[in-house]
Amino acid sequence: MQLYPLKLVTVVGESVIMEDIAERGIKLGASGYTLVDVTGHGARSTRNVSMSGGARTQKIEFVVSGEVAVDILSYVSHQYFEHYACIAWLSDVSVVRGDQYVKPGGR
Amino acid sequence: MHSSEHGLQLLAALFAATGGGQLSRILESLERNLLTPIPLCFLLGIICTRIHGGIKIPKELYYSIAIFLLMSIGFIGGHELAHEYQAHGVATIWKPALATLFLGCVTPITSFVVLRYLGRMSIADSAGIAAHYGSTSAVTYAVANSFVEQSQHPANSFLPTLVTLLECPGIAIALVLGAALSAKERAAKAAAGSIAGIRGPGRESKLGEALYEVMTGQSIMLMAGLLVIGFISTLFMDEKAFQPFYEFFQSKGMLFRGALCIFLLEMGLVAGERLGDLVKVGPFLVAFGIFMPLIHGFFGVSMGHLAGLNLGGCTVLGAIVASASYIAAPPAVRLTLPEANPTYSITAALAVTFPFNIAFGIPIYYEMARWVGAQ
Repeated sequence: MQLYPLKLVTVVGESVIMEDIAERGIKLGASGYTLVDVTGHGARSTRNVSMSGGARTQKIEFVVSGEVAVDILSYVSHQYFEHYACIAWLSDVSVVRGDQYVKPGGR
Repeated sequence: MHSSEHGLQLLAALFAATGGGQLSRILESLERNLLTPIPLCFLLGIICTRIHGGIKIPKELYYSIAIFLLMSIGFIGGHELAHEYQAHGVATIWKPALATLFLGCVTPITSFVVLRYLGRMSIADSAGIAAHYGSTSAVTYAVANSFVEQSQHPANSFLPTLVTLLECPGIAIALVLGAALSAKERAAKAAAGSIAGIRGPGRESKLGEALYEVMTGQSIMLMAGLLVIGFISTLFMDEKAFQPFYEFFQSKGMLFRGALCIFLLEMGLVAGERLGDLVKVGPFLVAFGIFMPLIHGFFGVSMGHLAGLNLGGCTVLGAIVASASYIAAPPAVRLTLPEANPTYSITAALAVTFPFNIAFGIPIYYEMARWVGAQ
């Protein structure tokens, strides 16, 4: 079985910013994403909109090439780090059917 | 800060203006309101959180009940609106509708001015909180409506229409005001070189997106959507065929009242968690969360009376004008004014104003309505 070396971008933050991050990730070259509700506590938890009416903490993950991963992380850090409860990290992953995670003609 | 003194003076003036006899009537109304299941469930929620009790309302149930309540308010509102329309056309509705829109435009501005100039809060925080207080809380509407029904003075039938009208303008005005003034302030500071380089170039504004989210959010879509459905189906459906829908949604029914109790229990649990944040937000905001609703409530009651609403209608309009949004406003403010600290606005709206209105505000607006002469 062949495994493809790719990057996993993970962003955990306020749900109000996740739709934008998902859209931007796709625009920057990701072929998809996974979005889940999470709970936890962080340095800026008190800034988070944790009302039961809707907003909550979410985690979004993209499996992408190294270049796209850097672009997504740059966007997230530039757009959201200053004022939102949000963290992001990059991991190396080995993926089955890795060709699915790179758009045709993409990076 | 002398704001709490100002507030106390205002309350004293309010009581003095209403006369001593009115005070005992207010106390009677308070008693009649407080010792009913809806505020008591809210209280149970708060107590439970404080003593780490075991009540947990599943999120899915909370969302389901929120959907049911919004649908009920909209559907019955549409149904009653159709009857009103059949009987009087738009003659009785246009004045209260205009008064509501006017109030929706005024309350964010009064809130902003008080927060910015009396409370000396930042532009973003003032505008963020003003957006919450300019909008309304559908649950406060539901509780106020239950109160006037229990007091044998049901509100005018078209009040749900007014709730829908009140939801948007306040948020929009506060956000536009906040975004414009923040941009101006940033430009001035950048020109002075004080924060040059802190914000990266081309940071995108989310104002349009936030306003779209408010307009198409769950509260508006469900309430306005069901209002139209209730209106159309009342006009075109056979009364007998319509009856089961009416019974399912009606606000005097056991389903609605019971659902409201569960909802208020959850609200109590959430508000109880927020009580600890009262220390963080400080005495000014706590005083603001009590006295601003009283002032806005008085605006609402008076405008409602001028627009021809009945006693119940004036009370409910006062309550919804006095209430603060904690569902539609927070995400919109978060997107548009990220510098604003949400702890301030949510704590004030949810841990101060909402409990105040549920327990004390609604009976006070009822007495205010009687005082201005509403019948």
